[in-house]
Amino acid sequence: MISFRAVSVTYPDAAAPALVAVDLEIVEGELALVVGSTGSGKSTLLRCVNGLVPHFTGGRLDGHVTVAGRDTRTHRPRDLADVVGYVDQDPSAGFVTDVVEDELAYAMESLGLAPSLMRRRVEETLDLLGLADIRYRPLRTLSAGQKQRVAIGSVLTAHPSVLVMDEPTSALDPQAAEEVLAAVQRLVHDLGMTVLMSEHRLERAVQYADRVLVVDGSTVIDHQPAQAMAHSPVIPPVVALGRLAGWDPLPLTVRDARRDAEPLRRRLAGGTALPPAGNGGSPAVRPAVVSAREVTVRHPEVVALRRASLSVAPGEVVALMGRNGAGKTTMLRVLAGVDRPESGRVRMGTRDPAGLRGGERVRAVGLVPQNPRDLLWTESVAQECRDADRDAETSAGTSAGLLARLQPELDVDLHPGDLSEGQRLAVALAVVLAGDPAVLLLDEPTRGLDYATKRRLVSLLRDRAASGTAVVLATHDVELAAEVATRVVILAEGEVVADGPARESVMASPVFAPQVAKVLAPLPFLTVEEVSACLAGLP
Amino acid sequence: MPGGAPMSTIRASAPSALRLRGPSTAVLTLSSLIGVIAFGWPFVIDPDVGLGHERDAPLLFAVTLLMVVVVLMAEIVRGGIDAKALAMLGVLAALGASLRPLGGGVTGFQPMFLVIILGGRALGPGFGFVLGLLTMLGSAVVTGGVGPWLPFQMLGAAWMGLGAGLLPRASGRREVWLVAGYGALASVAYGFLLNLWFWPFTTGLDSELSFVAGDPVVANLRRLIAFSLLTSLGFDLVRAAGTLALTLMAGGLVLRALRRASRRAAFGAVADFGETSGWPPLASPEGRPASASTSGSGERPGAAGGDVGSA
Amino acid sequence: MAEARLRQPLPRLLHPGAWWLWASSLAVAASRTTNPWLLLALLGVVGIVVAERRVPGPWSRAFLVFVQVGMVVVGIRMVLAAVLAGPGAGPVLLTLPSIALPDWLAGVRVGGPVTADTVLEACYEGLRLAVILGCIGAANALVLPSRLLRVVPAALYEIGVAVVVILTVLPMLVADLGRVREARLLRGRRSRPARAAAEMTLPVLNGALDRAVTLAAAMDSRGYGRTTGVSAGTRRLTTTLVLAGLVGVGVGLYGVLDGGTPDVAGLPVLGWPMVLLGCTLAVAATLLAGRRIGRTVYRPDRWRAAEWAVLGSGLACLSAILVSAALGVDLEGPTSPPTWPTLPLVPALGVLLGLLALPASPPVPLAAGPRQLPSARPREPAR
Repeated sequence: MISFRAVSVTYPDAAAPALVAVDLEIVEGELALVVGSTGSGKSTLLRCVNGLVPHFTGGRLDGHVTVAGRDTRTHRPRDLADVVGYVDQDPSAGFVTDVVEDELAYAMESLGLAPSLMRRRVEETLDLLGLADIRYRPLRTLSAGQKQRVAIGSVLTAHPSVLVMDEPTSALDPQAAEEVLAAVQRLVHDLGMTVLMSEHRLERAVQYADRVLVVDGSTVIDHQPAQAMAHSPVIPPVVALGRLAGWDPLPLTVRDARRDAEPLRRRLAGGTALPPAGNGGSPAVRPAVVSAREVTVRHPEVVALRRASLSVAPGEVVALMGRNGAGKTTMLRVLAGVDRPESGRVRMGTRDPAGLRGGERVRAVGLVPQNPRDLLWTESVAQECRDADRDAETSAGTSAGLLARLQPELDVDLHPGDLSEGQRLAVALAVVLAGDPAVLLLDEPTRGLDYATKRRLVSLLRDRAASGTAVVLATHDVELAAEVATRVVILAEGEVVADGPARESVMASPVFAPQVAKVLAPLPFLTVEEVSACLAGLP
Repeated sequence: MPGGAPMSTIRASAPSALRLRGPSTAVLTLSSLIGVIAFGWPFVIDPDVGLGHERDAPLLFAVTLLMVVVVLMAEIVRGGIDAKALAMLGVLAALGASLRPLGGGVTGFQPMFLVIILGGRALGPGFGFVLGLLTMLGSAVVTGGVGPWLPFQMLGAAWMGLGAGLLPRASGRREVWLVAGYGALASVAYGFLLNLWFWPFTTGLDSELSFVAGDPVVANLRRLIAFSLLTSLGFDLVRAAGTLALTLMAGGLVLRALRRASRRAAFGAVADFGETSGWPPLASPEGRPASASTSGSGERPGAAGGDVGSA
Repeated sequence: MAEARLRQPLPRLLHPGAWWLWASSLAVAASRTTNPWLLLALLGVVGIVVAERRVPGPWSRAFLVFVQVGMVVVGIRMVLAAVLAGPGAGPVLLTLPSIALPDWLAGVRVGGPVTADTVLEACYEGLRLAVILGCIGAANALVLPSRLLRVVPAALYEIGVAVVVILTVLPMLVADLGRVREARLLRGRRSRPARAAAEMTLPVLNGALDRAVTLAAAMDSRGYGRTTGVSAGTRRLTTTLVLAGLVGVGVGLYGVLDGGTPDVAGLPVLGWPMVLLGCTLAVAATLLAGRRIGRTVYRPDRWRAAEWAVLGSGLACLSAILVSAALGVDLEGPTSPPTWPTLPLVPALGVLLGLLALPASPPVPLAAGPRQLPSARPREPAR
């Protein structure tokens, strides 16, 4: 169905080719997963399939890319619209109309289908993706998961044979990601579509994949999932555990791993070196550096926080978890002093963070928002660092040094808009940390990050916590919470539902448990490092 | 877009985003001439006709100009506009439209003009022309309401964008000064034009202020200036000064951003197809020739499940 | 009983063109008269129809807003007339101190005696403008602008798409600006307001431009531009016809401005009829050639009996006014001598014909009907 023959891609003004000599064959009805570190050419590969590279982006394409018998040399993206459906990373930037139903119909209008046929297909697609009750809603009022499904639906109505998706679940919480992946599964198994998608969060998607394409530098290697996982630099925790324990073949899902895990569990249970208690020391002892007491925040139509309280002590890493709309972001904004609560008190020491200005604020609290791009507005990374030093009233070079630690090979003359997600987050962190704030707040930091950058982030957060900063993370990423959090606070409908040491909270709930915990239950291990430390301590 | 694509030096002029072909230019010129007549008819109308048609003339000119603008827009888009140019137009017009409430009154909005002028400068005269049309149209739909003044405003803004694109080449600080000066002049001219449009509606006032058909141009011009002075010229001058200041401050940065975006958008991207290294293109979707793919086995997906299941 | 229920028309939204043509007809009718009673009657008719048939949403108060603007226009005109106009005939209402402006300003005299007839004339003219504005506001309230874009002729398809893009991107830009403002607060940035404004618009601009590229890629991937349909030959023919039409318009305008029917090299050059001819030729060539072969519309708005009825009522009103004018009925408000205006009967009945649009059109669907515009407040996701 999709075939790459000796394909090399070089962008205009680029020093090196983005892809070199790629040979691939994807059979009809397969679900192929594209993995690789950020900036490695995954997007380029996906865009070659529907002709965006090189017709839209410019550049040079050697070799042939053929989809359903059509060669992209002679077919532009619009000519391939009825065989390839392409869904980009940010669905809301790709919406052409303003109502769900119109968006679904747009592709068909361009193809010139009869109105009655269009109507039928729209109804089918609404049912297939569960969008029927939001069909008249304006697109900007939808949640991220709904937007993603509408974006998929909008290309599905053209009845393509191939569906290409660039990181469909990166912006979604686990629940919404499940829905989207389940819909994709339905498409592959019931409708026989061929799906090609790229994904960072392998733990969600690898079990559905029929083949895995690992993009490493500019080369693409095509594997069966189990083989790919054996060699790939980016792996989910289940696979890391499997490699550690020497299981063969490598398990891809928690279910597969549990079957293999019995011997390992017995070995670990026999050991005495259970995970250190430091990951969850009682926070109530030390005085809080920032506290929110009984705060209520009301947005025009919804109550975001309902008499919620939270206090954080220095050195703690608190993970705020909960579904979308539970109030996590609002809690962070209240602690940072950006939103003023309608009632209740927020105190940082004796002061209200909302009243801080300028250098004082930067030294007291730092918030990295969901979209780090919002914090960066100058022409180059170096300029951002200089500005940050000036705003924080610290010595020059502070944030540049931090950045070098976080992202060593970053070219500081790049424009912030040209950076990848991980690089942008690194710059935003360096900027925020220039003031060495007492409280560090992060909103969904790992969205769109690959595992390598995540590891660097984790080590940075651990260092910060060790040096006395209070860290609060709002996240859906249970793996991140398992690795770095000392305390987990769960919010629902604006109220604090659970607040306890990380280990207990995370182990107690099936939804929030990391993969390692699910595999090794009832043993209290959260991460692969803990398992390996325990194994190392065994005789 | 691929992360970390190296940034080459930004040229002072980027390729034009919307190229107008010869016939379109002819239509544009003719339409502009008709537009000039539709604005400036008080100066040249014959007195005998003028007296009888004083009331109807503004309405008739408005309808005529509406038709002409519709025909002009259709001519520019005939043959299709590239998706990139269209998306860029839409987004910049949205930006301009969102800035309209920051200006004030019926004549002379400064921030909105900035977007049109800088867009025309960075992305070419054809783009600037259509950007002017769309910004006015879009802002009317969103905020101002659609009315008989709209074709006149659209044409005025379009001329502004066109002129910005036709300015001589310059770079760096000189370019910013050039564009700022043009912006100030253009906003005064725009205010003047809109006053000119409104002028015939004020018949019945002192003959010293309303136009007198058949008088020499200079006499009518003096009346128009007097009318303008008494109504809005003062504000227009202040706004022109504001436009100048704003352009000087932010113009360089905005121009760089626009040029960078047009580089990333790769307007007029040339898709270069290199050698095929001897492989024939695939004839049909079913055929699967033996490929040099490094997948260890050409196993069907079903077999993979078997592998995992066995301990 | 059951039959009566069956007869009630199903709620639906009319074709946008129907209301716009109706409102335009009434606006043109208003432009032919300055009789205040007629004008107020027109305004009343329009107001009643708007009250019953307006679409809920951000534009439903457009009519009132436009009427208010119209009132302001009337006020300004009266003040300007009182201050700037020279003395006319008729009783003097009051005398303002008079200042003579210098000669290079055309020697205008400001102030002086204010006569009733100038004030009345300004009032009637202003009222006429206000009613025209009210009709335009009514059109805005009866038809959502985004629906108007759906009936754009195929020749202007790209323009319609561009305007839809504007409508969808605008709220995103506003949201972006809010986020950037907060980010500046978070970074402790304090700068002078002018510099702050510049620093805030740049990230919004960059975000908007990146969004444009993503949008363009999505449009291309979904088949935008797949069907332009016309061959080069047809395109050339259309352009030639359009050019010919525009030349005709130009010539006609020359004729208009020159007055009468002057001769150019012996050929009579007509005025407005020539302009009309030229316009028709250009527009017809454009619309006919602009048909997109291969592009269809999802759930298109159909022109049914109700639309004809609404259009008919507007045209009936307009023709009644035009016919009365042709028959010599006086449609002017009396200014000299300033007497109490009377209401001419035939035009008044004509105005009432415009009210027939109300029973002729179906009621507006209230809740989740098709083509509902965003009345739901945007809910911020992931908060």
